[in-house]
Amino acid sequence: MTVNAIQGKRKWEPYIWLLPSIVLIAIFVVFPILIVFKLSFSEISQGGVVGGFIGFQNYTEAVRLPAFKTVMLNTLWWVLSVVGLSTVLGFIVALVLNQKFRGRKIARSILVFPWATSLVIQASVWNYIIKYEYGSLNNVLLNLGIINQAINWRSSYTVEFIWECGVGIFVTVPFVAFCVLSGLQSIDGSLYEAATVDGAGFWDKLWNITLPLVRPSLTVSTVLNIIYVFNSFPIVYTMTKGAPAHKTDTMITYLYMLSFYERKKGPATALSVIGFLILCVCAGVYMMGVMRKEEEQ
Amino acid sequence: MKSPELKSQNRRALALLLLGLILALILMSLPLYRFNAAILTKKSSNTFVGDEKYQSVMAELETTAEEYRAQGFDVSINESVTERVNSKGETTSLITFTIDQVFSKNLFSFLTASLPAGHVFRLIFLCALLSALCAALGLVGSSDLLPRFLDGRARFLRSAAAVLALIALLLVPVFAMMNNFAFGRQLSLYGQELLTEGKEALYRKMDLFLFGGAAGENIGAALKGLSGRPSGMLCLLLPAFALMLLCAVQIRCGAIKSTLLRGLLYTFVVVMCIVVLYPYYVMLITAFRSNAETLDMYFLHMFPTRWIWSNLTDIIHRDVPRFLLNSIFVAGGATVLAMLCGIPAAYAMARMNFAGKKPFLGFVIMSQMFSPVVLLIGISQLMNTLHLNDSVVGLMLVNAAFNQAFAVWLLRGTFVAISPEMEQAALIDGCGTVSALIRVLLPMAAPGIVTTLIFVFINAWNEYTISTVLISTASNKPITVGITQFSSFNMIEWQYLFAASLLATIPVVILFMSIEKHLTAGLTSGGVKG
Repeated sequence: MTVNAIQGKRKWEPYIWLLPSIVLIAIFVVFPILIVFKLSFSEISQGGVVGGFIGFQNYTEAVRLPAFKTVMLNTLWWVLSVVGLSTVLGFIVALVLNQKFRGRKIARSILVFPWATSLVIQASVWNYIIKYEYGSLNNVLLNLGIINQAINWRSSYTVEFIWECGVGIFVTVPFVAFCVLSGLQSIDGSLYEAATVDGAGFWDKLWNITLPLVRPSLTVSTVLNIIYVFNSFPIVYTMTKGAPAHKTDTMITYLYMLSFYERKKGPATALSVIGFLILCVCAGVYMMGVMRKEEEQ
Repeated sequence: MKSPELKSQNRRALALLLLGLILALILMSLPLYRFNAAILTKKSSNTFVGDEKYQSVMAELETTAEEYRAQGFDVSINESVTERVNSKGETTSLITFTIDQVFSKNLFSFLTASLPAGHVFRLIFLCALLSALCAALGLVGSSDLLPRFLDGRARFLRSAAAVLALIALLLVPVFAMMNNFAFGRQLSLYGQELLTEGKEALYRKMDLFLFGGAAGENIGAALKGLSGRPSGMLCLLLPAFALMLLCAVQIRCGAIKSTLLRGLLYTFVVVMCIVVLYPYYVMLITAFRSNAETLDMYFLHMFPTRWIWSNLTDIIHRDVPRFLLNSIFVAGGATVLAMLCGIPAAYAMARMNFAGKKPFLGFVIMSQMFSPVVLLIGISQLMNTLHLNDSVVGLMLVNAAFNQAFAVWLLRGTFVAISPEMEQAALIDGCGTVSALIRVLLPMAAPGIVTTLIFVFINAWNEYTISTVLISTASNKPITVGITQFSSFNMIEWQYLFAASLLATIPVVILFMSIEKHLTAGLTSGGVKG
């Protein structure tokens, strides 16, 4: 008599087990999605009063906002640079940490730090570090005698945006590294030994053994990162609040500013929907990958 | 032992050693401080470069400079040109000529300096010399040229060489720091003494400090030209010593390629750890500084001059305990709720077959994709209707919901990995499904459950965006939002901000470290991040 046989008698049982979970997700995830969709097609006054159906007017208004183009470009740069660079860096870090050396455990524990720390706190610390007048970076470099004069680390909004990307990379690398590391650890060591016997060099092994075998973990971490980085809010918000004039905003911080500071809820909801659809595409790609993996198992 | 292979290896090592020594000596003779100090200034108006007046002034200065040179000063003539267009539209020009005395001080002069930094440098120098000596003797010891008494001591000598080189290497940044600190401190200290002891005394002291008393009568002029700090030349010394260290290690352990690779590996790891820990170092020291020190433009220390522990007690009176309590409530509640809903769902997914299993899985994964941020507006609207706006309970519910997907996914993985036989036995014994789950499966799945639990807790603890939107009353804020009260638009109390951040960070980092191993295993299948 198996579990299945027992529940065969009561077909509805699994659904009861699932019910609490479904209810929770339905109320707090699915319902807000519906609300956002509905709002994006409704007229919303500055005070937040929801009016009737107005078609795509919110969308056209959103696209016509003066900052729209900058913000979209910023978002693209933000996602591409953070995800791309942290994937490369994380991969290298994982390769190094996969070697056997003294203090590996300590190094791994240290690498956990940025992953475990709240993004607001990290962003605040970096904010302090790169302050021109009294920041820690200038202070340390001066003390070590590496520079002779304080450097203005945030001389323009472009530079500030690059710093934001840098912090984004800093907090994302550990995640990639640990993903790849778990993939690396499952690789059979005898493969490398065989390759060494065959006379394969370091790059041959990297290209022909390591990369193909960690590709699944790499794919998962990359797709997830695209989604998380796209959604990332605290770094940009804490470091510049999008200033000046939304020049450093990404889509997420921009829609927050629009709806909660500038009282333009209509375009903001339209932007939310656009962001949501972009995420849907990424999520779809990811899900297909995961499902295929499930089937293989 | 004395194979030709070993001999060629030894020769290589010797060459490396010599190279390191030569590099170090060259770097040592380069000037560490170098600046010009004006002894004589002469301004000449309505003069253009190359005209008659220019020539005559130049000739005059040349003779003066010669006089100085005759007295043994190292001087040079410099000029700076200022051109202006006056109201009539004519170009006027003013040339300022100066006779500068060139002061420079190289590392050799530190060998005789009486400063603390001088002591450190002498120690470095001694270590490096001894290291080179030991290495050389060790090499000799392993060939045929040896004096008899060195026989058998070669190994010890090589180890000594490596250790000494390492000490020298580690002392270089110490020297740099002491030197630079002393430099800055001395300047400010002497600046204060100026009031009591007079200019001459100050000059004599600076002379002694900077030049070991060599600047003589002209020290006043010398100090006028003083600006900036010593250059980063010292950092260049590091590679030289590193080379020596490498050579010592190589002599000690053999093959050079693997030594190099090892060296690179450790360098990478150390640099990585320093970069990762740097923000935490900043957080730590800033949390214990006084407000004035956090805003000090020229703070010449790596650590607080006085550790202000009262920063911690101060933030207690600034609502921080309240924020922490809220965070514990929100994160704890969210965790419990997510687990209560997640465990049954994961159990059903792992053990039962039913129509709609796949779609549910897809649904779960999809919901994981949406960080709440893109749905901010929808969530705040929903909370308004539910009258859960500005309440910790609402925050807790949202956190539980958005971590639900991950909880289900990871728990399912844990359950699937455990064979169902034990439960089946319990079922046959007449247990209900619920008690089989609680009594049999849950204890076996404990590690996976704890991992999930802690991860959900940390996610909820670190959550910021939803909390900023939903919570407006100060007493309901969780810690991540609460700390922002220390950074208002025109005044940031960094020391309190980071003291509170420290309290918010330490527990989660420790928790996270404890689950890192289990989490990485579940990572690639589940996909997780805060």
